[in-house]
Amino acid sequence: MNPTEDQIYVIIFSTLFLGGLMSTFVVAMVFIHRQRQAQNRLKMDQVKSEHEKTLLNIENEIQQETLTHIGRELHDNIGQLLSLAKLNFGSIKPEKIAEGRDILGQAIQEVRGLSKQLNLDWVESISINEFIEQQLERIQNTGFCQTSLEADFELIELPKDQKLVLIRVIQESLNNAIKHAFPDKIQIRLHENGMRKQILIKDNGKGFDSSQKLNGSGMFNLKKRMETIGGEFYLTSAVGKGTEITLTLPN
Amino acid sequence: MEARFFEAFLMPYLVVLDTLSLTGIIYFYMLPKEQKANTSYWLPLVILLFTCFFENMGAYCNYNTAFNKEVNAFFGNTENPRYNLWLYNIANKQISTILYLFLIKSWLKPSKKKYINWMLVVFISVAFYFQIAGIEPIYSFQPIIFAIGANMMVIGIGLYFIGLITDEAFLNSNPVKLISFWQMTFLLFTYSLSYINSIALEFFLTFNEDLGRSLLQIDIVMGVLTKIILVLTLVSPNFPKLFEREPSSIDNKNLEGLIVR
Repeated sequence: MNPTEDQIYVIIFSTLFLGGLMSTFVVAMVFIHRQRQAQNRLKMDQVKSEHEKTLLNIENEIQQETLTHIGRELHDNIGQLLSLAKLNFGSIKPEKIAEGRDILGQAIQEVRGLSKQLNLDWVESISINEFIEQQLERIQNTGFCQTSLEADFELIELPKDQKLVLIRVIQESLNNAIKHAFPDKIQIRLHENGMRKQILIKDNGKGFDSSQKLNGSGMFNLKKRMETIGGEFYLTSAVGKGTEITLTLPN
Repeated sequence: MEARFFEAFLMPYLVVLDTLSLTGIIYFYMLPKEQKANTSYWLPLVILLFTCFFENMGAYCNYNTAFNKEVNAFFGNTENPRYNLWLYNIANKQISTILYLFLIKSWLKPSKKKYINWMLVVFISVAFYFQIAGIEPIYSFQPIIFAIGANMMVIGIGLYFIGLITDEAFLNSNPVKLISFWQMTFLLFTYSLSYINSIALEFFLTFNEDLGRSLLQIDIVMGVLTKIILVLTLVSPNFPKLFEREPSSIDNKNLEGLIVR
């Protein structure tokens, strides 16, 4: 074999080697892609199941809250109405009996209203604006503090899971304000910040050091919940200066 | 017409290329407007038509030797006036590499496109410098320029494969059903299989011309296979069951602006 022949063989073998190397590379890439795809699917399933778990928890919490509200309504409102009706029916005066009938009708209406709240179908029929209005009205009716709502838009077309999370986060934010901040006024504002819709919940209560806001408090939970629907939760507060919560809605 | 004309233009390789280009044009016109404006579709057609043009130009140079002689003389080659290496170098080894780099770029994530931009700048500058400085004249063999281009192609294709195994959008799709995967695979094979024999072409033609010509067949076969994949790119929207939608095609709208600019 002369040196030229040697060189030719080297070139042929090098070409074959490069071809083999590239084939191995492509096959390895497809193999790694399949592995990563499987890992990715597993991760997605976990995220999905966590999302479903969060939603289930939220549904339970809303139902729990509703039951507490119904219990209070039965005791404070319907119980009182029925007692009044009983007193009126005990009278021999026809006008008192008529009044008793009216009160009974009112009690029946209240019971019908409450029964609708027992399942979560009301979530689908109500808009976020209506829900906020109801919540603020309820707070104002207790005489605890003044409330106001300003809305630049109506939040109607929202998927049920997003609605559930928003309802629960708003409910919890208001509960926290009442329980811990003791404000004179609670303001809620729905507005658009650029391309994104935001809900601002502001109180003039005692506030707290917001640098410690997420340490083991329910606020961390609220932030996580907003993130599960692709939204954001932002809180600012200072001692004596009230609290402001910004809920940024998913796009 | 002369027999020489038919001999030059009716070579099986040219007939296949012309047929592929014609098929490409027909399927491109059948695409919806939005897809026609998408780089992933018009760039393969540009490559197809450009290849068809320069291969036919090569055939014309073989037919009209007087013209070839004039061009060679213009570039300073009076020694071998029948060679059409000038066309092979400019079109097949330089412009085609640039077009393929743009094609690779169209499949990359925006964060990785800048690497291809730099490769393009370096490749064009080096090719110009080597030719103007006379290190690798335009009418002679250009192993260094080809090697630089081929290395850049392999790196670019490597970037695509990295994206394939890391990008979430790619992880949700089946690579075997992606036309971009087959484009990159065939380009990788074309450039790696013809790498050594393109660099050693001068050596072969000096010491063993027959073997050199045989090894050049690899280049031709891989070239035809790559063009078939380019035609399949234009045909793919008609077979949604066979090919999946490209996950990065949304980004391609941004790319169009970059290329035009």
